[in-house]
Amino acid sequence: MTKSRTTLAPLRKVVTVPATPQRAFELFTAEMGAWWPLRTHSVGKDAAAGVAMESRVGGRIVETLADGSTSIWGTLTAWEPPHRVAFTWHPGHEERHATDVEVLFSPAGDQTRVELVHTGWERHPGTEGARREYDTGWDFVLGKYAEGVAG
Amino acid sequence: MDERDTPLTSGFVSDSLRFVETYEVVLEALGDPTRRRILHRLRAGPAPVNELAAAVPVSRPAVSQHLRVLHRSGLVRYEEVGTRNVYRLDPSGIEPLRGWLDDFWQTALDSYAEHVRRDAERAGQRQEEDPR
Repeated sequence: MTKSRTTLAPLRKVVTVPATPQRAFELFTAEMGAWWPLRTHSVGKDAAAGVAMESRVGGRIVETLADGSTSIWGTLTAWEPPHRVAFTWHPGHEERHATDVEVLFSPAGDQTRVELVHTGWERHPGTEGARREYDTGWDFVLGKYAEGVAG
Repeated sequence: MDERDTPLTSGFVSDSLRFVETYEVVLEALGDPTRRRILHRLRAGPAPVNELAAAVPVSRPAVSQHLRVLHRSGLVRYEEVGTRNVYRLDPSGIEPLRGWLDDFWQTALDSYAEHVRRDAERAGQRQEEDPR
């Protein structure tokens, strides 16, 4: 199978920030509510009041709306300060539709390179965590679907 | 509800779709086993509606409705061949989603980087005010 451009391979984004990895990690996680672009990137949009990340494996990323209700965006699967944090990602949807996001922090001179990798579209049954992805839309469209296009 | 009939083009995605809706449109298209079976059949090659209808255990009108949802999602397109509509997977169907995700995380990371810069500036100011 040829991997065509239509395959949604891992999406990687990199940004370099003027901070130590420790501080960069802390700002990313503990202060998520201070920098996350909530107005555009939220379930509640204008009604979104805040978002916070619970800092432990199994902790959740929770959006709070103006009326006090909440929306779970994902659950932390790795908590390794100051190197790595990973979480499932299913804003506005049930966990069975979750994809995976991993954020890596590494020193770059006196700054920190932050790499975000969004994956989880191409799992196959039998691999770890596959049960919840098996036969879901994401798996199909972003993995198997692309095979069909290439073939 | 008119926008629901608009195919999922890049322009439509960037103009209209936000956080949840991009998930919504794909998950709606794929959340149904019959539609997944139709897509599965189309992976083998283009097919007219009657052939697709034969591949799934639902009525012909129901198949048409499923195809409408798939077309709206941008995952399939069709050509009129004589009196028949022949459906095929649309390889460009994924591109708007990928572009959308890219923009989504770019915006988030830009906002994060700006927050770090402000934090660094504040730390610098504190050091100036209180030199060791």
